Amino acid sequence: MRRTWTTIGIGIAMCLSIVLALSATATLQSGAAQLTAGKVQLTSAGPMTFGPAGILFVGDSLGGAVVAIDTEDSKAPASAAKINVEGIDAKIAALVGIAADQIVVNDVTVNPVSKNVYVSAARGRGPDAAPLIVKVDGTGKLSLVSLDNARHASVSLVDAPAAGAPNARQNPRTQTITGMAFVNGNLMVAGLSNEEWSSALRSIPYPFKTASQGATVQIWHSSHGQYETASPIRTFVPYTISGQQYVLAAYTCTPLVKIPVSQLTPGAKVKGQEIADLGAGNQPLDMVPYTKDGHNYILIANSAFGVLKLKADNIETYPAIVEPQRTDVAGVPFDKVTTLSNVQHLAAIDGSNVLVLTGSGGGRGAAAVPINIATVALP
Amino acid sequence: MTAVAQSPSIQLEGGTFKVTGWKATAPPTKGWSSVFTIYAGSGDVPALLGKYSVENNTLVFRPQFPIAAGVKYRAVFQPPGGTAVTKAFDGPPRETNPIARVVNVYPTADVLPSNQLRLYVYFSAPMSRGEAARHMHILDENGKALEGTEAVLLRGEELWDPAFQRLTMTFDPGRIKRELTSNRMIGPPIAEGKRYTLVIDREWPDARGVPMIDGYRKPYRGGPALRTPPDPKQWHVTAPKSGSSVPLVVEFPVSMNYPLLQRMIRVSGPEGTVAGTIDVQRQETQWRFTPKSAWKAGNYKLIVDTGLEDLAGNHIGQPFDVDTFERVTEKITTATVSVPFIIQ
Repeated sequence: MRRTWTTIGIGIAMCLSIVLALSATATLQSGAAQLTAGKVQLTSAGPMTFGPAGILFVGDSLGGAVVAIDTEDSKAPASAAKINVEGIDAKIAALVGIAADQIVVNDVTVNPVSKNVYVSAARGRGPDAAPLIVKVDGTGKLSLVSLDNARHASVSLVDAPAAGAPNARQNPRTQTITGMAFVNGNLMVAGLSNEEWSSALRSIPYPFKTASQGATVQIWHSSHGQYETASPIRTFVPYTISGQQYVLAAYTCTPLVKIPVSQLTPGAKVKGQEIADLGAGNQPLDMVPYTKDGHNYILIANSAFGVLKLKADNIETYPAIVEPQRTDVAGVPFDKVTTLSNVQHLAAIDGSNVLVLTGSGGGRGAAAVPINIATVALP
Repeated sequence: MTAVAQSPSIQLEGGTFKVTGWKATAPPTKGWSSVFTIYAGSGDVPALLGKYSVENNTLVFRPQFPIAAGVKYRAVFQPPGGTAVTKAFDGPPRETNPIARVVNVYPTADVLPSNQLRLYVYFSAPMSRGEAARHMHILDENGKALEGTEAVLLRGEELWDPAFQRLTMTFDPGRIKRELTSNRMIGPPIAEGKRYTLVIDREWPDARGVPMIDGYRKPYRGGPALRTPPDPKQWHVTAPKSGSSVPLVVEFPVSMNYPLLQRMIRVSGPEGTVAGTIDVQRQETQWRFTPKSAWKAGNYKLIVDTGLEDLAGNHIGQPFDVDTFERVTEKITTATVSVPFIIQ
């Protein structure tokens, strides 16, 4: 994320409004559709999501870029495996030869075809930490995804530097990528600046080829009463409601908002609708929508509230929360999942299972607890 | 394929592991890893990644990543038909000399508005991330750390610059926004009239894992909330005389966001953008600009990015929290405003 994303609509991008900006100045470092074999230029490995045919998108906050890597991992398994790796941080540390407390786990995702698990991490806690992408197969075996010679393409999220401007390494301004999702051929990237409060959600067509104008999205947050501020998106997922494609986006303190993808066109202004408010003093971490026994749910991992199961049946019938609410909790109902605790990340596996990453060694700052990944039946 | 010459042994030299006393020729069918494996760490862990080679009949393993401090390595050589040899090695010793300290924390004012949005901590050396929750505390006036539901800062959200020398921490926006339940029940992160202390532990490890030279403490007092967006019309500009190189001085009624002051104001003159250096003083209420060349007479202006924020995240023309639902949808705002002044 790094350095200078152009945000469009500065004046109105206050707290719960976000800016969807595919910056016209975004620099494209790939050719058109083609992936190039060679060394992947990755400064850090953060949020990940899979695109088509084994393409893994990796958010590089420190490098100010998103990289698409062909994992060449597109073979469906004979049967779904249950993965259970305890102390995956220590195992990654052993693989790359460093003390376990120097491994920072950043994200986890599941290849939707092969069902192999991918973990992004850093070897070290300082600025020179090496980015790692670790693949965990159905037997629990770890291997490092080679970044030395992979077919890949990248798109820079950094505005072209002005003449005389400091280079990336000297520029203290960064844009931390908080989440990514692949929707209708576009990679959507949410970010957060370490300087100004305004935030950005970008939509980047894949294969990476063109840049375009951005769209501004404004969102009403009910429990804030009449006051609104611009808050960054923490996590989001694609979601279909009544045949229409949306993204569901969750914010700090903790509104859940639906944004119609069809309206996220370059230059458009879109008003997202808040459908639930999970309460304040919390950060949403990951969301996984699913269907069980004919009912729709969304599993949401949170920093303070644990894992919540949102009851998403007839989500289209809930009116948008447009009036100021004086309570913390409103909209679509939810239950707390008491069987899951200390969850840092969730990743969809299939219609029956979800991958859960637990522990606190993953850069969230609490006393280190071993990091485990496990396949868990959807509640 | 191989022949036993003498009793084999394992060495670690210059970051590579070698089997001496054993003549390596062709690789075994299952590869060199079937006879020579290095482990870093204990327990059920995978083998260390690296590449094998045979150099002058010596089997060599080069780790993919450099040998690291604080790691215990275990090398196992199992010659075909022979007795296994195991040898333990320690990585290089950890560095112990402290070099890092907190250089400054912005805002530098003693009074923080109750809706203070962010803190910027500048360190003298690159630091380790993932440590703020353990090593950065806000104490109340009784010296009690504000944690849990009383937490003031967003836990676990560390925003670093690429050099890992500047950390941005955010106060809980849920407690800042008016009318939010936690704002009304718990109150804003900083209460007017109350006293607080920011504490940064000496134990915060730098990027090498070494604690700092000193810890850091800074007392603050809670002040009233800042609800008025910055208005450049309220700024006081002192223009220097032509021919001089003394700084242009801009004074603000309230403290402003220090990092944004470094890049969101520029000076434009008769010949375009004026080159110079920026210096921020007086608790971020004074912005000083020293030109590279002496001032020339003429009409000038400050070009100010409307994203420039005060301490509470209010930016030009827009307070931090405002009813934006209906009235701003069609509003088009300019990205900059200008403040004219004359050099005589």
